Amino acid sequence: MITAISWRNVWRSKLRSIVIMSAITLGLTGGIFSVAIFNGMSEQKLRSAIDVQTSHIQIHQQGFRKNKDIRLYIPHLEKLKTEILSTNHVDKWAIRTVISGMAATSNGNAGIQLNGIIPEDEKQVTTLSQMMIEGEYFETQRKNQIVVGKKLADKLEVKLGSKIIVTLQDANGEIVGAAFRVSGIFKTPSSLFDESQAFVRKGDLEKLAGQANTSHEIAIRMNNIEQVPEAIHELQAATNGQPLAIESWREVEPELAYLTDSMWQINYLFLAIILAALAFGILNTMLMAIFERVKELGVLMAVGMNKFNIFKMIVLETVFLSLSGALVGIALSFALVKWINQIGINLSMFAEGLASYGLSSIIYPNLDNEFYLSITLMVIITAILASIYPAIKALQLKPVEAIHG
Amino acid sequence: MKSRFQLNYLLARSQQKTSTMSIIQLSNISKIYNPDTVPVRALNHVNLNIDKGEFTAIVGPSGCGKTTLLNTIGGLDHPTEGKVIIDHTDITALQSKALINFRLHNIGFVFQDYSLLPVLTARENTEFIMQLQNRSKKEYRQRAEELLKEVGLGDKMDFFPSKLSGGQQQRVAVARALAPKPKFVLADEPTANLDSKSTNDLLDIMLKLNKEEHITFLFSTHDQRVIDKARRIVVLEDGNIVKDEVLTVSY
Repeated sequence: MITAISWRNVWRSKLRSIVIMSAITLGLTGGIFSVAIFNGMSEQKLRSAIDVQTSHIQIHQQGFRKNKDIRLYIPHLEKLKTEILSTNHVDKWAIRTVISGMAATSNGNAGIQLNGIIPEDEKQVTTLSQMMIEGEYFETQRKNQIVVGKKLADKLEVKLGSKIIVTLQDANGEIVGAAFRVSGIFKTPSSLFDESQAFVRKGDLEKLAGQANTSHEIAIRMNNIEQVPEAIHELQAATNGQPLAIESWREVEPELAYLTDSMWQINYLFLAIILAALAFGILNTMLMAIFERVKELGVLMAVGMNKFNIFKMIVLETVFLSLSGALVGIALSFALVKWINQIGINLSMFAEGLASYGLSSIIYPNLDNEFYLSITLMVIITAILASIYPAIKALQLKPVEAIHG
Repeated sequence: MKSRFQLNYLLARSQQKTSTMSIIQLSNISKIYNPDTVPVRALNHVNLNIDKGEFTAIVGPSGCGKTTLLNTIGGLDHPTEGKVIIDHTDITALQSKALINFRLHNIGFVFQDYSLLPVLTARENTEFIMQLQNRSKKEYRQRAEELLKEVGLGDKMDFFPSKLSGGQQQRVAVARALAPKPKFVLADEPTANLDSKSTNDLLDIMLKLNKEEHITFLFSTHDQRVIDKARRIVVLEDGNIVKDEVLTVSY
C-alpha cells in the first residue's frame, strides 16, 4: 500500500510533477544525446586510427617504435609468420617496411614516414584503399608508385602522375634517393595522418634502402577488438624468447587509449553534473510536497505509521517522480541516438578543425545499451539522495504539532 | 441537570473506581507549554479513569485543555508531570518507537477534519492501518468490508474521499479508527465540520458500536448534540476537571 500511496502522491499536484518530470526528461535527453555524440566521436577516432594504419596489434623488434632505426627489422620473419599462423585468433595480417624520409618536389618538401607495403595484404588489414579520392591504390604493377595523403599532396603541390623525390638514410647510413610517381591520393579523417604518411610497394622501398626482405612492422587485425588481449597472450607464448615487442593498439596509440578510457569518465561526470542540477529541482519539489502535507504526515504518524515507513514512502515517491521523467528522457534519447546514428550529423563546416583532431566531418552518435541501464541506476541513486533531506524534514515533524498545524 | 450533591457524588464515585476496571488511568497529569519562556499550564494535576465501554465526552470552552488531554491520552503529547496508564502500560515511559507501535495496536483516532488519505479509497484507507499491523490480506480485506458496511458505506467502498460527503468521510474515519481493533477510540471534535443529519448519523453509529461491541469512545466536543448523547461528561476549565458526570439513566 505504501508503494501505491507514493505513486498516487506523485500525481496529486499534476502540474508541479509534470514540470519537474519535463525538466528531467529534457535534461537527460540533452545530456545523453551529447554523451552519444562525444562517444561517437571517440569511437570514430579510434576506429579510424585502427582501420587506417594502427590495426589491433603490432609486432616490432624491441626498440624500433622508439628509435625508428632502419636496422631494427624483425628477425627470422619466416619463422615468425609460421608462429603467427599457429595461433587461434590471428588470421589477417600485413607486414610493412617503415622508414622515415624526406619527400621533395620542385615546390616544396616535407618529412614523411614511408610505409613499404604489400597492397593485397594491406587491404585485409586496413581500409586506406577505400579512402582514395584520386587515382588508385596500387592497382597496377608499375614500379615506384607512391600513394600520398591529400594534405601532403597539397603541401608538395603534386597531383596524380607528379613526381616526388624520396630521400632516406639506408642501412649503411648513406643518403639515398629515388623518384616516385603519385598514383593515388587518399583522404582520411586525420589531417595529421594525411600530411605525414606515404605508401609505396614494399619491394620498391627495400630496393631503395638496400635491404631485401626486411620488415619492421607486422600489423594484425582481429575480428573482434575484445580478443586482442587473448591474441597477444597467444603471440607472446608462440614467440617466447625472441626480442619482439608485441603490442596492442592501446600501447601503440597511448593517447587514443587514454582518450577512450577518459571519455567514459568524462561522460559519466557530465551526466552526474546534469543529474546533480536536476536533483536540486527534485529536492525542491519534494520539499514543497512535504510542507503541503504536514498535517497528513502528522495523522499518519499519529495512527501508528513508523518512521521507516514514512521514510520509505517519501523515498519511493521521489524515485517514482524522477524515474517517470527519466524513463521518458532515456527512451527519447535512445530513439534519437539510434535515428541520428543512421543518418549522421553533418559538421562539414567544421571539417578542417575536426580533421586536425582525427575526426570525420560526419559524426555518428552512439551509445552502448549498458549505458542506458547505468543512467537509470544513476537516476535512482540521484532520486534517493534528493529524497533524504525532505524525508528527514518529514521525520522531524511532531505528530501533535503537525496535526494541529 | 443533576444537583450539585449528585454531581459531587458521581465525581467521587468515578475517582474511586479501581484501577483494574479502568482502561485509561491519568494520574496527576500536568502539561505546561513554554516552561522556560511564558509558561502556559494546559492541564493542571488531572486525575481521570475511563472504563472499558464508556462513551465519554470531554467538554469545556476553547483553550480549556480538551485537545491537550486527548493528545496526552493518545500518546501524541508528553505530559510535563504525571502518568498515563493505558491497559496497565505506562505510555509516558515508552520510547518513541515503542509508543508509535503502541498507538498502532491500541488506540483509534478520529480527527475533526476526517484526515483521510486523499489518494486512497474508503476501503484502502481502512485497510491501510491493518497492513501496517502486518495482518493478512484476507483478514484486512474482510474486516475493512465489515466495518465500512457497519458505518453504512457498503456501497461506497471504492470511492475516493473527494467523492464522499463530510459525514461519509467521517464515517470512513471511524471505520479506520476501529480497523486495528483498538482498546479505545479518541475523537477530537468529530462532528465539528458536520451538518445535523451527518452528526446524528455518526453519533448513531458510534453509539451502536459502543452498545453492541462495547467499544470505548472518548471525545472532545463543543457540540450540544454530542453532549446530549454522551453517557459521561467530563468538564474541563483552565486545565482542571471541574465536573465529571456519569449519566447512568440517560439511555
